[in-house]
Amino acid sequence: MNQLSEKQHMRRTKRRLFLSRFSKSIFMLSAFFGLFFLAVLLVKVVTEGIGSVNFDFLTGKLSTQPERAGIMGAILGTFWLMLVVAPVTMFVGVGTAIYLEMYAKKGRLVSFIQTNISNLAGVPSIVYGILGLTVFVRVLDLGNIVLAGGLTMSLLILPIVIVASQEAIRSIPFFLSEAAYGLGATKWQTIQRIILPAALPGILTGAILSLSRAIGETAPLVVIGIPALLIPFPGSIMDRFTVLPMQIYYWTLDASLVAEYANLAAATIIVLLVALFILNSTAIIIRNKFQRVF
Amino acid sequence: MKFNKYLLFMIIATFAVVLAACGKDGDPGESDKNKASAQGAELEGSVAIDGSGTVYPLMARLAEEYMVNEQENVSVEVSRAGTSAGFKKFLVENGTDFNNASRQIKDEEAAEADKLGIEVKELKVALDGLTFVINKENDWATEMTPEQLVSIFLADSPVEKWSDINPDWPDEKINAMGPNENHGTYEFFYESILDKQDMDSSVNLQQEYSTLVNLVSKDKNGIAFFGYGYYVNNQDKMNAVAVDFGNGPVEPALDTIAEDGAYADFTRPVFTYLNVNQAKENPQVKDFAMYVMNNINKFAGETGFAPIPESEVKENVSFLDGL
Repeated sequence: MNQLSEKQHMRRTKRRLFLSRFSKSIFMLSAFFGLFFLAVLLVKVVTEGIGSVNFDFLTGKLSTQPERAGIMGAILGTFWLMLVVAPVTMFVGVGTAIYLEMYAKKGRLVSFIQTNISNLAGVPSIVYGILGLTVFVRVLDLGNIVLAGGLTMSLLILPIVIVASQEAIRSIPFFLSEAAYGLGATKWQTIQRIILPAALPGILTGAILSLSRAIGETAPLVVIGIPALLIPFPGSIMDRFTVLPMQIYYWTLDASLVAEYANLAAATIIVLLVALFILNSTAIIIRNKFQRVF
Repeated sequence: MKFNKYLLFMIIATFAVVLAACGKDGDPGESDKNKASAQGAELEGSVAIDGSGTVYPLMARLAEEYMVNEQENVSVEVSRAGTSAGFKKFLVENGTDFNNASRQIKDEEAAEADKLGIEVKELKVALDGLTFVINKENDWATEMTPEQLVSIFLADSPVEKWSDINPDWPDEKINAMGPNENHGTYEFFYESILDKQDMDSSVNLQQEYSTLVNLVSKDKNGIAFFGYGYYVNNQDKMNAVAVDFGNGPVEPALDTIAEDGAYADFTRPVFTYLNVNQAKENPQVKDFAMYVMNNINKFAGETGFAPIPESEVKENVSFLDGL
C-alpha cells in the first residue's frame, strides 16, 4: 500500500477544506440573493412612498389630481372582493378535499380529478381572467362588479386551497377516524367532529396564504375591465370596484403623465404589503396555536 | 366541539353577509342605471366611458369635476383601452355610454352600430397635435420636414440611419416607435400622415404611452410619436421635433396646434362618441354629455389640448338639448 507523503496529504486536506468553505459561501450567497432584492424593493418603495402615506391618502377618494387622490375606494374594493373569495373558496375548496379524501373511491375518476386540479394550479392567472370575462361578465351578464371579480379570483386560488386541505386531511392519523367508527359514529359525524377540527389549522393556513395571493393578483382583473377612474366607494358585492394592485398598475402608467403618481403607486404598495403581512402573520399564528401533534 | 362550531359559524356568517349584500341590490347591471330621476334635479346612476388613452386625461378630469361639483351621486367611470378596443366595448348590447376616440369612427364600426340599432353621435372635444419626440441628447434632428419624418416610418423607404436623412447626422440606426393598433393615434398616423402606406415592420409599437416615454428618454437614437399632452407632461425627459411645413420650423404648442395654427397639418380633432339611445333613456348620461360640451374648453389647455371653436360647441349643445 502506498503511503501518502506528508506533502500530498497536506495538499489534499487543503483542497477538501477549500471546497467545503467554497460550497458554504455559494449556498449562503443563494440564500442572500432573494433577501438582497427584497431589501432593494423595500428601500425603494418606502423611500418613494412613505411621504404620501397619511390619513387623507388612506381615507380619501380617487382623483385625477395626485395631491387630492386617496386609496379608500381600492381598500374597500379589496375588502368586498375578499368577502366573496373567502367563503366561496373555503366552501368549495374544503368540500372538494373532503369528497376526494373521505368519500371518493380511489380509482380512475379520482385520479382524473386529481390530475386536473394539479394542472389548474399551473394555469396562468390571465387565462382565468379570460374565463371570468366570458362566463361571469358576459354570459351571466354580471358586468365588471365585485361578484364577478370575486368568483374569477376564487377559481384562480381554488386548486391551491383544495391541495392544501387535502394535505391537511391526509395528515390526520388513521386511528382517530377508526376510533370514531368503532364508537358507532357515522361518516359525517366523524368528518364533522374528528377530521375537520384536527385538519382546521392546515386548512386555514392554506386558505389564508391563497387569499393573500388573490389580494395581490392583477392580471385577471385587467381582463375583466376595472375602470382607471372610479371615484364612488363600492358599498356591496354588486358594485363596480377597483382594488389595490389595480391602482398600483394604473398609477405606475400614469406616472408618465404626472410624475407624482409614482409616489402614490409606491404608497399603495406599502398599504398592500402591510395588508399581506397581516394576513400571512395570521396564518402563522393560527398554525402555531392550533397545531396538534399526534 | 370548539373547532367545528367555530368553522361553521365562520362559514355561515360570511355567507349571510354575502347573501344580504346580494338581496339588497337585486339585479345589478340595470338597477343603478334606472334609478336616475328627472332631469335638472339630483341625478343618480352610472356613466361608463372607455376608449382612447390620449383623450383619457381630459375626460377623466371632466368626470371628476362633474362628480365633485355637479352630481355627486352619479358615478362616472373612465377607462382607457384605446380607441379601437373601446369601440368593441361600445358597439355591443348594454355597452359603454361614451367611447373616446383619437380618430373618427370607421365605416365598419358605423355599420356595426346600425346593425345593433345604436344611434351614435360624434362629439368633437378638442384638438391634439401629433408630436414627434426625441431624446434629450439628440441635438441633430431637432428640426425636420414632414417628408423626412414620414421616411423614417415608411416600409418603402431607404432610411435606416440618421445619416440617410442628412449626411451630417450620425451614422447610427434610428429606433422608431409609436403606439400600437389599439390606439387611434396609430390609425391617424397611418391614414393621414403615412397616407395608408405600409409602416416599417421594425417600428416598435407599444400598448402603453408610458412605455414610449421611457424608451425615448433612455435611447439617444429613439424617436416616437404621440399626442401633445404626453409630451407636455414629460418635457424634462424629451424634446419635441420642430416641424417645417414650408414656412420655417414650428414647435408644437397650445397656440400652434389650435384651429388654423402653424402646426395645423399635424393637428387632429379628438372625439367622444355618445350612445344616443342611452342618453335618451338615462338622464345622467345626457346630463354628463351636456356638462362635457359646456366645460370642454375650460379644461382642454390644462390637459394639453387646444380648444375647439365655440360654434361647434353650440351646435352639439343644441343637438343634446333636443334629445
